[in-house]
Amino acid sequence: MQQNRNALKVAMVAVLTAVVVVFTLVVRIPTAKGYLNLCDVAICFIAFTFGPWSAFIAAGLGTALADLISGYAQWAPISFVVHGVEGLLIALIVRQKGNEAVSFVRKLLAGLVCIATVSLGYFALSALFISTVSVAAAEIPGNIAQSGVGFVLGLGVASAVKKAYPPVRSLSW
Amino acid sequence: MTINTFVAGKGLLYRFDPRAKLLTVILLCIWFFLPVSLVGLYTVVGLLVLVGALNTGFSHIAKTFLSILPMLLFMVLFMPFNVRDGESLISIGSFTLITTEGLEQATRLAGRFIGITYACTLLFATTVMQEVMLALRSFHLPYKAGLVVTLAFTYIPFIAESFSQIAESHSLREAESDQGKRIVQRLKDLVPTLTSALVVALRSIPNLAMSLELRGFGSEQKRSSFKDLSSYRHPFTHTLLSCIMLVVFWVLFRVQ
Repeated sequence: MQQNRNALKVAMVAVLTAVVVVFTLVVRIPTAKGYLNLCDVAICFIAFTFGPWSAFIAAGLGTALADLISGYAQWAPISFVVHGVEGLLIALIVRQKGNEAVSFVRKLLAGLVCIATVSLGYFALSALFISTVSVAAAEIPGNIAQSGVGFVLGLGVASAVKKAYPPVRSLSW
Repeated sequence: MTINTFVAGKGLLYRFDPRAKLLTVILLCIWFFLPVSLVGLYTVVGLLVLVGALNTGFSHIAKTFLSILPMLLFMVLFMPFNVRDGESLISIGSFTLITTEGLEQATRLAGRFIGITYACTLLFATTVMQEVMLALRSFHLPYKAGLVVTLAFTYIPFIAESFSQIAESHSLREAESDQGKRIVQRLKDLVPTLTSALVVALRSIPNLAMSLELRGFGSEQKRSSFKDLSSYRHPFTHTLLSCIMLVVFWVLFRVQ
Protein backbone atom coordinates (compact mmCIF):
# COMPACT_ATOMS: atom_id res chain seq x y z
CA MET A 1 0.00 0.00 0.00
CA GLN A 2 2.89 2.32 0.95
CA GLN A 3 4.53 1.42 -2.39
CA ASN A 4 1.36 2.51 -4.25
CA ARG A 5 1.25 5.78 -2.33
CA ASN A 6 4.94 6.46 -3.13
CA ALA A 7 4.36 5.88 -6.84
CA LEU A 8 1.38 8.24 -6.73
CA LYS A 9 3.42 10.93 -4.96
CA VAL A 10 6.26 10.70 -7.50
CA ALA A 11 3.81 10.76 -10.43
CA MET A 12 1.93 13.70 -8.95
CA VAL A 13 5.00 15.81 -8.23
CA ALA A 14 6.45 15.05 -11.70
CA VAL A 15 3.26 16.09 -13.52
CA LEU A 16 2.79 19.19 -11.33
CA THR A 17 6.42 20.20 -11.96
CA ALA A 18 5.79 19.90 -15.70
CA VAL A 19 2.63 22.03 -15.27
CA VAL A 20 4.63 24.78 -13.55
CA VAL A 21 7.24 24.72 -16.36
CA VAL A 22 4.54 24.98 -19.05
CA PHE A 23 2.70 27.81 -17.26
CA THR A 24 6.01 29.66 -16.90
CA LEU A 25 7.25 29.25 -20.45
CA VAL A 26 4.22 28.88 -22.71
CA VAL A 27 1.63 31.23 -21.28
CA ARG A 28 2.87 34.79 -21.61
CA ILE A 29 0.69 37.87 -21.52
CA PRO A 30 2.27 40.93 -23.12
CA THR A 31 2.33 44.07 -20.93
CA ALA A 32 3.77 47.56 -21.41
CA LYS A 33 7.09 46.58 -19.76
CA GLY A 34 7.47 43.08 -21.16
CA TYR A 35 5.67 39.84 -20.29
CA LEU A 36 3.72 38.43 -17.39
CA ASN A 37 4.14 34.69 -16.99
CA LEU A 38 1.68 32.53 -15.17
CA CYS A 39 3.96 30.46 -12.92
CA ASP A 40 2.27 31.93 -9.84
CA VAL A 41 -1.13 30.73 -11.08
CA ALA A 42 0.18 27.15 -11.20
CA ILE A 43 1.93 27.52 -7.82
CA CYS A 44 -1.17 28.93 -6.09
CA PHE A 45 -3.35 26.26 -7.68
CA ILE A 46 -0.99 23.52 -6.42
CA ALA A 47 -0.74 25.08 -2.95
CA PHE A 48 -4.55 25.34 -2.67
CA THR A 49 -5.18 21.83 -3.99
CA PHE A 50 -2.28 19.53 -3.15
CA GLY A 51 -0.77 20.65 0.14
CA PRO A 52 2.55 22.12 1.33
CA TRP A 53 5.11 19.50 0.25
CA SER A 54 3.79 19.05 -3.29
CA ALA A 55 3.64 22.85 -3.58
CA PHE A 56 7.20 23.31 -2.30
CA ILE A 57 8.78 20.70 -4.58
CA ALA A 58 6.72 21.34 -7.73
CA ALA A 59 6.95 25.14 -7.45
CA GLY A 60 10.67 25.23 -6.72
CA LEU A 61 11.68 22.56 -9.18
CA GLY A 62 9.29 23.74 -11.93
CA THR A 63 10.46 27.35 -11.95
CA ALA A 64 14.13 26.29 -11.66
CA LEU A 65 13.73 23.94 -14.65
CA ALA A 66 11.97 26.72 -16.60
CA ASP A 67 14.97 28.99 -15.95
CA LEU A 68 17.39 26.28 -17.07
CA ILE A 69 15.42 25.60 -20.26
CA SER A 70 15.03 29.27 -21.19
CA GLY A 71 18.76 30.02 -20.76
CA TYR A 72 18.66 31.88 -17.44
CA ALA A 73 20.43 29.14 -15.47
CA GLN A 74 21.92 31.64 -12.99
CA TRP A 75 18.39 32.41 -11.74
CA ALA A 76 17.49 28.73 -11.19
CA PRO A 77 18.68 28.42 -7.54
CA ILE A 78 16.99 31.73 -6.65
CA SER A 79 13.73 30.70 -8.33
CA PHE A 80 13.88 27.32 -6.58
CA VAL A 81 14.11 28.95 -3.15
CA VAL A 82 11.69 31.86 -3.72
CA HIS A 83 8.91 29.97 -5.48
CA GLY A 84 9.39 26.85 -3.34
CA VAL A 85 8.93 28.90 -0.17
CA GLU A 86 6.02 30.77 -1.81
CA GLY A 87 4.17 27.49 -2.49
CA LEU A 88 4.97 26.08 0.95
CA LEU A 89 3.78 29.17 2.85
CA ILE A 90 0.55 29.57 0.86
CA ALA A 91 -0.29 25.89 1.34
CA LEU A 92 0.42 26.04 5.08
CA ILE A 93 -1.81 29.12 5.48
CA VAL A 94 -4.79 27.71 3.57
CA ARG A 95 -4.45 24.10 4.78
CA GLN A 96 -7.80 22.79 6.09
CA LYS A 97 -8.96 19.71 7.93
CA GLY A 98 -11.78 17.96 6.04
CA ASN A 99 -13.93 19.79 3.48
CA GLU A 100 -14.26 23.14 5.29
CA ALA A 101 -14.06 26.23 3.11
CA VAL A 102 -11.02 28.49 3.53
CA SER A 103 -12.01 31.76 5.21
CA PHE A 104 -11.61 35.08 3.38
CA VAL A 105 -9.09 36.33 5.98
CA ARG A 106 -6.82 33.34 5.39
CA LYS A 107 -7.08 33.77 1.64
CA LEU A 108 -6.17 37.43 2.01
CA LEU A 109 -3.23 36.55 4.26
CA ALA A 110 -2.08 33.90 1.79
CA GLY A 111 -2.27 36.48 -1.02
CA LEU A 112 -0.19 38.99 0.91
CA VAL A 113 2.37 36.34 1.83
CA CYS A 114 2.54 35.25 -1.82
CA ILE A 115 3.23 38.80 -3.02
CA ALA A 116 5.70 39.53 -0.20
CA THR A 117 7.63 36.28 -0.68
CA VAL A 118 8.06 36.73 -4.43
CA SER A 119 8.90 40.43 -4.46
CA LEU A 120 11.12 40.50 -1.35
CA GLY A 121 12.66 37.09 -2.03
CA TYR A 122 13.73 38.03 -5.56
CA PHE A 123 14.86 41.45 -4.37
CA ALA A 124 17.05 40.12 -1.55
CA LEU A 125 18.58 37.12 -3.33
CA SER A 126 19.10 38.91 -6.64
CA ALA A 127 20.72 41.92 -4.92
CA LEU A 128 22.95 39.55 -2.95
CA PHE A 129 24.06 37.15 -5.69
CA ILE A 130 23.32 38.45 -9.19
CA SER A 131 22.75 42.17 -9.58
CA THR A 132 22.69 45.23 -7.33
CA VAL A 133 20.18 46.71 -4.90
CA SER A 134 19.05 49.35 -7.45
CA VAL A 135 18.61 46.82 -10.29
CA ALA A 136 16.86 44.34 -7.97
CA ALA A 137 14.59 47.13 -6.63
CA ALA A 138 13.50 48.01 -10.18
CA GLU A 139 12.02 44.52 -10.54
CA ILE A 140 9.81 44.76 -7.46
CA PRO A 141 6.72 46.35 -9.16
CA GLY A 142 6.73 43.71 -11.91
CA ASN A 143 7.02 40.91 -9.38
CA ILE A 144 4.20 42.37 -7.26
CA ALA A 145 1.93 42.60 -10.31
CA GLN A 146 2.79 39.09 -11.49
CA SER A 147 2.36 37.39 -8.11
CA GLY A 148 -0.83 39.35 -7.32
CA VAL A 149 -2.45 38.47 -10.63
CA GLY A 150 -1.14 34.91 -10.29
CA PHE A 151 -2.67 34.50 -6.84
CA VAL A 152 -6.13 35.74 -7.89
CA LEU A 153 -6.16 33.58 -11.03
CA GLY A 154 -4.77 30.61 -9.09
CA LEU A 155 -7.62 30.90 -6.59
CA GLY A 156 -10.20 30.93 -9.40
CA VAL A 157 -8.56 28.06 -11.27
CA ALA A 158 -8.27 25.93 -8.08
CA SER A 159 -11.98 26.18 -7.37
CA ALA A 160 -12.87 25.56 -11.05
CA VAL A 161 -10.65 22.46 -11.23
CA LYS A 162 -12.13 21.04 -8.00
CA LYS A 163 -15.60 21.36 -9.58
CA ALA A 164 -14.55 19.98 -12.98
CA TYR A 165 -12.43 17.10 -11.64
CA PRO A 166 -13.53 16.11 -8.09
CA PRO A 167 -11.01 13.19 -7.70
CA VAL A 168 -8.32 15.86 -7.36
CA ARG A 169 -9.31 16.25 -3.67
CA SER A 170 -7.97 12.77 -2.87
CA LEU A 171 -4.49 13.56 -4.20
CA SER A 172 -3.40 15.99 -1.45
CA TRP A 173 -0.55 15.00 0.93
CA MET B 1 8.01 24.05 -27.31
CA THR B 2 11.76 23.35 -27.24
CA ILE B 3 13.12 22.01 -23.98
CA ASN B 4 16.53 21.03 -25.33
CA THR B 5 19.41 23.32 -24.34
CA PHE B 6 22.10 21.05 -25.81
CA VAL B 7 24.09 22.38 -28.79
CA ALA B 8 25.56 19.50 -30.81
CA GLY B 9 29.37 19.57 -31.17
CA LYS B 10 32.61 17.62 -30.82
CA GLY B 11 34.87 20.00 -28.88
CA LEU B 12 36.91 19.33 -25.76
CA LEU B 13 34.08 20.33 -23.41
CA TYR B 14 31.83 17.65 -24.90
CA ARG B 15 34.41 14.98 -23.96
CA PHE B 16 34.94 16.41 -20.48
CA ASP B 17 33.38 14.36 -17.67
CA PRO B 18 29.93 15.78 -16.72
CA ARG B 19 30.68 15.35 -13.00
CA ALA B 20 33.84 17.46 -13.36
CA LYS B 21 31.94 20.04 -15.47
CA LEU B 22 29.21 20.37 -12.86
CA LEU B 23 31.77 20.79 -10.09
CA THR B 24 33.72 23.33 -12.16
CA VAL B 25 30.61 25.46 -12.72
CA ILE B 26 29.77 25.46 -9.00
CA LEU B 27 33.38 26.33 -8.06
CA LEU B 28 33.54 28.96 -10.80
CA CYS B 29 30.36 30.63 -9.48
CA ILE B 30 31.99 30.78 -6.02
CA TRP B 31 35.27 32.01 -7.55
CA PHE B 32 33.51 35.01 -9.13
CA PHE B 33 32.61 36.23 -5.63
CA LEU B 34 36.19 36.04 -4.31
CA PRO B 35 38.16 39.29 -3.98
CA VAL B 36 40.05 39.11 -7.29
CA SER B 37 41.48 41.93 -9.39
CA LEU B 38 39.36 43.38 -12.19
CA VAL B 39 41.95 42.29 -14.78
CA GLY B 40 41.89 38.76 -13.34
CA LEU B 41 38.09 38.65 -13.38
CA TYR B 42 37.89 39.70 -17.04
CA THR B 43 40.77 37.34 -17.99
CA VAL B 44 38.81 34.39 -16.61
CA VAL B 45 35.58 35.61 -18.27
CA GLY B 46 37.52 36.03 -21.56
CA LEU B 47 38.97 32.50 -21.27
CA LEU B 48 35.52 31.13 -20.56
CA VAL B 49 34.05 32.87 -23.63
CA LEU B 50 36.99 31.65 -25.74
CA VAL B 51 36.52 28.05 -24.60
CA GLY B 52 32.78 28.43 -25.28
CA ALA B 53 33.40 29.83 -28.76
CA LEU B 54 35.71 26.93 -29.64
CA ASN B 55 33.11 24.43 -28.48
CA THR B 56 29.65 25.79 -29.26
CA GLY B 57 30.44 28.49 -31.84
CA PHE B 58 29.98 32.26 -31.94
CA SER B 59 26.27 32.18 -32.74
CA HIS B 60 25.56 30.50 -29.40
CA ILE B 61 27.61 33.17 -27.60
CA ALA B 62 25.71 35.92 -29.42
CA LYS B 63 22.37 34.33 -28.48
CA THR B 64 23.38 34.08 -24.81
CA PHE B 65 24.60 37.68 -24.66
CA LEU B 66 21.51 39.01 -26.42
CA SER B 67 19.30 37.36 -23.80
CA ILE B 68 21.13 39.05 -20.89
CA LEU B 69 21.78 42.36 -22.66
CA PRO B 70 18.78 44.32 -21.23
CA MET B 71 19.68 43.44 -17.63
CA LEU B 72 23.38 44.03 -18.28
CA LEU B 73 22.68 47.48 -19.75
CA PHE B 74 20.43 48.38 -16.84
CA MET B 75 23.15 47.30 -14.40
CA VAL B 76 25.98 49.17 -16.12
CA LEU B 77 23.94 52.34 -16.72
CA PHE B 78 22.45 52.74 -13.22
CA MET B 79 25.06 51.26 -10.91
CA PRO B 80 27.65 54.08 -11.23
CA PHE B 81 25.03 56.66 -10.11
CA ASN B 82 24.27 54.76 -6.87
CA VAL B 83 27.80 54.42 -5.55
CA ARG B 84 29.10 57.73 -4.19
CA ASP B 85 32.51 56.62 -2.83
CA GLY B 86 35.83 57.36 -4.54
CA GLU B 87 37.05 60.25 -6.65
CA SER B 88 34.68 62.16 -8.89
CA LEU B 89 34.90 61.21 -12.58
CA ILE B 90 32.03 63.13 -14.12
CA SER B 91 30.24 65.98 -12.38
CA ILE B 92 27.71 68.68 -13.29
CA GLY B 93 28.51 71.81 -11.30
CA SER B 94 28.90 70.71 -7.65
CA PHE B 95 26.93 67.49 -8.20
CA THR B 96 29.05 64.36 -8.74
CA LEU B 97 27.49 62.11 -11.36
CA ILE B 98 29.92 59.17 -11.56
CA THR B 99 32.77 58.22 -9.23
CA THR B 100 35.76 55.90 -9.80
CA GLU B 101 34.42 53.49 -7.20
CA GLY B 102 30.98 53.43 -8.87
CA LEU B 103 32.49 52.72 -12.27
CA GLU B 104 34.71 49.96 -10.88
CA GLN B 105 31.83 48.27 -9.06
CA ALA B 106 29.64 48.40 -12.17
CA THR B 107 32.42 46.88 -14.29
CA ARG B 108 33.07 44.15 -11.69
CA LEU B 109 29.39 43.33 -11.39
CA ALA B 110 28.94 43.14 -15.16
CA GLY B 111 31.96 40.79 -15.45
CA ARG B 112 30.64 38.57 -12.66
CA PHE B 113 27.15 38.51 -14.18
CA ILE B 114 28.50 37.57 -17.63
CA GLY B 115 30.81 34.93 -16.12
CA ILE B 116 28.14 33.20 -14.03
CA THR B 117 25.55 33.33 -16.82
CA TYR B 118 27.92 32.01 -19.45
CA ALA B 119 29.39 29.24 -17.22
CA CYS B 120 25.89 27.91 -16.47
CA THR B 121 24.78 28.22 -20.11
CA LEU B 122 27.91 26.43 -21.34
CA LEU B 123 27.31 23.51 -18.97
CA PHE B 124 23.84 22.88 -20.38
CA ALA B 125 24.91 23.59 -23.99
CA THR B 126 27.67 20.94 -23.89
CA THR B 127 26.00 18.32 -21.69
CA VAL B 128 22.77 16.48 -22.50
CA MET B 129 20.21 16.75 -19.72
CA GLN B 130 20.34 12.99 -19.09
CA GLU B 131 24.06 13.24 -18.30
CA VAL B 132 23.48 16.24 -16.01
CA MET B 133 21.02 14.06 -14.11
CA LEU B 134 23.53 11.19 -13.98
CA ALA B 135 26.20 13.57 -12.70
CA LEU B 136 23.81 14.78 -9.99
CA ARG B 137 23.05 11.14 -9.13
CA SER B 138 26.75 10.46 -8.68
CA PHE B 139 26.76 13.38 -6.19
CA HIS B 140 24.09 11.42 -4.27
CA LEU B 141 20.94 13.11 -5.58
CA PRO B 142 18.16 10.80 -4.28
CA TYR B 143 16.72 8.30 -6.79
CA LYS B 144 13.19 9.69 -6.38
CA ALA B 145 14.33 13.26 -7.08
CA GLY B 146 16.11 12.16 -10.27
CA LEU B 147 13.02 10.23 -11.34
CA VAL B 148 10.74 13.24 -10.73
CA VAL B 149 12.93 15.48 -12.92
CA THR B 150 13.21 12.97 -15.78
CA LEU B 151 9.45 12.30 -15.68
CA ALA B 152 8.77 16.06 -15.64
CA PHE B 153 10.91 16.48 -18.76
CA THR B 154 8.91 13.72 -20.44
CA TYR B 155 5.61 15.38 -19.59
CA ILE B 156 6.48 19.01 -20.47
CA PRO B 157 5.95 18.63 -24.27
CA PHE B 158 2.71 16.66 -23.71
CA ILE B 159 1.23 19.31 -21.39
CA ALA B 160 2.46 22.19 -23.59
CA GLU B 161 0.85 20.58 -26.65
CA SER B 162 -2.45 19.99 -24.79
CA PHE B 163 -2.42 23.59 -23.59
CA SER B 164 -1.90 24.96 -27.12
CA GLN B 165 -4.73 22.81 -28.52
CA ILE B 166 -7.12 23.82 -25.73
CA ALA B 167 -6.20 27.52 -26.12
CA GLU B 168 -6.86 27.30 -29.88
CA SER B 169 -10.23 25.57 -29.35
CA HIS B 170 -11.30 28.20 -26.83
CA SER B 171 -10.22 31.09 -29.08
CA LEU B 172 -12.21 29.60 -31.98
CA ARG B 173 -15.37 29.64 -29.84
CA GLU B 174 -14.98 33.33 -29.01
CA ALA B 175 -16.78 35.94 -31.09
CA GLU B 176 -14.13 38.67 -30.87
CA SER B 177 -10.35 38.44 -31.08
CA ASP B 178 -7.94 39.15 -28.18
CA GLN B 179 -6.58 42.32 -29.86
CA GLY B 180 -9.13 44.86 -28.63
CA LYS B 181 -9.59 43.42 -25.14
CA ARG B 182 -8.35 44.96 -21.91
CA ILE B 183 -5.78 42.96 -19.93
CA VAL B 184 -8.28 42.15 -17.12
CA GLN B 185 -10.71 40.65 -19.61
CA ARG B 186 -7.89 38.70 -21.27
CA LEU B 187 -6.87 37.27 -17.89
CA LYS B 188 -10.49 36.34 -17.08
CA ASP B 189 -10.80 34.59 -20.43
CA LEU B 190 -7.74 32.52 -19.58
CA VAL B 191 -9.43 30.77 -16.62
CA PRO B 192 -11.45 28.21 -18.68
CA THR B 193 -8.38 27.43 -20.82
CA LEU B 194 -6.13 26.97 -17.77
CA THR B 195 -8.77 24.84 -16.04
CA SER B 196 -9.15 22.53 -19.03
CA ALA B 197 -5.36 22.22 -19.43
CA LEU B 198 -4.95 21.40 -15.74
CA VAL B 199 -7.70 18.78 -15.79
CA VAL B 200 -6.02 17.09 -18.79
CA ALA B 201 -2.67 17.11 -16.95
CA LEU B 202 -4.16 15.85 -13.67
CA ARG B 203 -5.93 12.98 -15.41
CA SER B 204 -2.54 11.62 -16.44
CA ILE B 205 -1.35 11.27 -12.80
CA PRO B 206 -3.13 7.96 -11.99
CA ASN B 207 -1.90 6.41 -15.27
CA LEU B 208 1.67 7.47 -14.58
CA ALA B 209 1.46 6.16 -11.00
CA MET B 210 0.15 2.83 -12.30
CA SER B 211 2.99 2.62 -14.85
CA LEU B 212 5.52 3.23 -12.08
CA GLU B 213 3.97 0.52 -9.90
CA LEU B 214 3.99 -1.95 -12.80
CA ARG B 215 7.68 -1.17 -13.36
CA GLY B 216 8.29 -2.21 -9.74
CA PHE B 217 8.83 1.27 -8.36
CA GLY B 218 9.20 1.22 -4.58
CA SER B 219 9.67 -2.56 -4.29
CA GLU B 220 12.61 -3.99 -2.34
CA GLN B 221 14.30 -5.40 -5.45
CA LYS B 222 15.01 -2.63 -7.92
CA ARG B 223 13.86 -3.47 -11.42
CA SER B 224 15.07 -0.31 -13.08
CA SER B 225 18.04 1.96 -12.48
CA PHE B 226 19.74 4.92 -14.13
CA LYS B 227 22.56 4.36 -16.63
CA ASP B 228 26.06 5.20 -15.47
CA LEU B 229 28.71 7.56 -16.84
CA SER B 230 31.33 4.84 -17.44
CA SER B 231 31.90 6.03 -21.05
CA TYR B 232 33.89 8.95 -19.60
CA ARG B 233 37.29 7.46 -18.80
CA HIS B 234 39.03 10.09 -16.71
CA PRO B 235 36.61 11.53 -14.15
CA PHE B 236 39.31 11.88 -11.49
CA THR B 237 41.76 13.65 -13.84
CA HIS B 238 39.05 16.01 -15.09
CA THR B 239 37.88 16.87 -11.57
CA LEU B 240 41.46 17.42 -10.41
CA LEU B 241 42.18 19.57 -13.46
CA SER B 242 39.10 21.74 -12.79
CA CYS B 243 40.05 22.29 -9.15
CA ILE B 244 43.74 23.03 -9.94
CA MET B 245 42.72 25.51 -12.67
CA LEU B 246 40.51 27.51 -10.29
CA VAL B 247 43.15 27.51 -7.53
CA VAL B 248 45.73 28.80 -10.06
CA PHE B 249 43.33 31.57 -11.15
CA TRP B 250 42.78 32.49 -7.49
CA VAL B 251 46.54 32.62 -6.74
CA LEU B 252 47.22 34.64 -9.90
CA PHE B 253 44.44 37.17 -9.63
CA ARG B 254 43.69 37.63 -5.92
CA VAL B 255 43.82 41.14 -4.55
CA GLN B 256 47.07 41.46 -2.53
